[in-house]
Amino acid sequence: MNRIAQIALLLLLAAFLFAPFLVNPGLVFIAGFALIQIVFALSWNLLFSYAGLISFGHAAFFGVGAYISAVVLRDGHGIHFVLVILICAVAGAVAALLVALVVLRRASGVQFAVLTLALSQLIVVLIGYSSLLGHDEGIAAIPRPVMEFGLFTLDLNRPLTNYYFVLAICLLAVGLMWLLVKGHMGRAMQAVRIDAERAAFIGIDVWRVRVVAFTISGAFAAVAGALLAPWGQIVTPDYVNWLQSAQPLFAALLGGAGFFWGPVVGVLGLSGINYLTRTFAGLSEVLVGASLILVVLLAPQGVLGAVRQFARRRGGGNPGGRP
Amino acid sequence: MILDVHGIEMSYGALKVLHGISLGVEPSETFAIIGPNGAGKTTLFKVLTGEAMPTAGTIRYKGQDITRLPAHQRARRGFGRTFQVARVFNELDLRTNVVVAVESRLRYSGGSLGRWWRWRPTAAVRAEAEEILERFGFARRRWQDEASYLSHGDRKRLEFCVALATRPEILMLDEPTAGMSPSDRREMTQLLLRLKAETGITILMTEHDMDIIFELADRLMVLNFGEVLAMGAPQAVRDDATVRRVYLGQGHHPGHRHA
Repeated sequence: MNRIAQIALLLLLAAFLFAPFLVNPGLVFIAGFALIQIVFALSWNLLFSYAGLISFGHAAFFGVGAYISAVVLRDGHGIHFVLVILICAVAGAVAALLVALVVLRRASGVQFAVLTLALSQLIVVLIGYSSLLGHDEGIAAIPRPVMEFGLFTLDLNRPLTNYYFVLAICLLAVGLMWLLVKGHMGRAMQAVRIDAERAAFIGIDVWRVRVVAFTISGAFAAVAGALLAPWGQIVTPDYVNWLQSAQPLFAALLGGAGFFWGPVVGVLGLSGINYLTRTFAGLSEVLVGASLILVVLLAPQGVLGAVRQFARRRGGGNPGGRP
Repeated sequence: MILDVHGIEMSYGALKVLHGISLGVEPSETFAIIGPNGAGKTTLFKVLTGEAMPTAGTIRYKGQDITRLPAHQRARRGFGRTFQVARVFNELDLRTNVVVAVESRLRYSGGSLGRWWRWRPTAAVRAEAEEILERFGFARRRWQDEASYLSHGDRKRLEFCVALATRPEILMLDEPTAGMSPSDRREMTQLLLRLKAETGITILMTEHDMDIIFELADRLMVLNFGEVLAMGAPQAVRDDATVRRVYLGQGHHPGHRHA
């Protein structure tokens, strides 16, 4: 089972690494977009599968990154883009920390989910009033940055460079999140999710763990947003809206909630559906909805959950340990 | 005195359930709270663990006022707790259950959790967790089993491992043998006796099984309608006329009250 998972992961990595040489530019664009959505979905899953918090307004933090990055690139301040990404991460973290300090004081369940949704929709409305952020039309035709690294220069106007830059940052973000949730912090988060009261009695400050998880999650969501501006070259309030907030939820349900890699499988599935139905307006929503219903009914643990169950049945016996 | 409780009052709205409870627990003592259903045992227990805040009164732990401290702060100062229905981290394997508790202790006591990019628990943490599991009779081959598949008795034992991994000085046990088979009860009693002998840990417990109380407790307190009916050595309490009438009597033989 573990061996198969490792091979699948390596194949996936190889597919992303060689995508520009294997498929047409249209698909490469979708692959880059999927990478950004993967980082966003994983940042949300950090809360859902590890800290036990459901946020329905996570797109707000994606939006923080996307709009800061878009405005900086549009106005041509000449700030190094790697620095812009870091600024976005800090801004996302600060925004998430403020929300967590206010909202997590009292709520952690349904109220928390609803409050995050309300706050993110408030931001959508505020963007509509802002000339700086381009009202409802958003910011379009965002120029791509050129980065000076001393020994070499990265010009994101070159398609190949652009793709590998997005890939590198996304891999870095995914790797950092993996280390976080597999490490002692992730174990403490899981303890809080599984039984907050029990966790408190081994000295874990439940509130603090949740606030820290939410803050980190906001930072990674903002990093994903920051990458969107130069990649898609357009940032609109749609990326802050509830439908964007729901994408990680769909991805996690489809791929398998409770698995670190679940949302990755989910995003790939959703991207696939979107690509295959690109010429039929409206069909993609129908298919996404239908596949979600199917997965929830037939494999409530998502694709990865079904695979694990299948592997265990093949491996025989031992439901508790590894097969 | 390790735990000094004075004048605890507690109301749920207009309903007053605790009427000025005072008690003191000496180090290494096993102190039991008993009483009929609805006497306020659970409420008093929750006030002592920090899950509920009293409306009046003070709780001092090793001389420090902890009346207003939340549960995790008390845990950090040396409180360990088990639940009536054992609560462990279900989806985690046995070893990780204990590792989480050891790591939590290291986090708040300033210990080393290893370098940030090392996701696995450090060798020292693993060794400590494994030592605890072994001491409580979990064989090596079971360490990677998921806790959700454990039997009731095993869950209770694992909960002890988790609770002891923070190296508590006082263990709060809420009906440690509730819902157990007679043989599991026997085993749990032996385990507690062994723990007392080996570590000299202070225990504060509620329990329904009188045989276990009389075997384990150094002193006990009888609660009735939120008031202290009697307090003292088990034998003295058993011979107390009021206690006999209100609690131990009621047509039951002392050994058979499991309700």
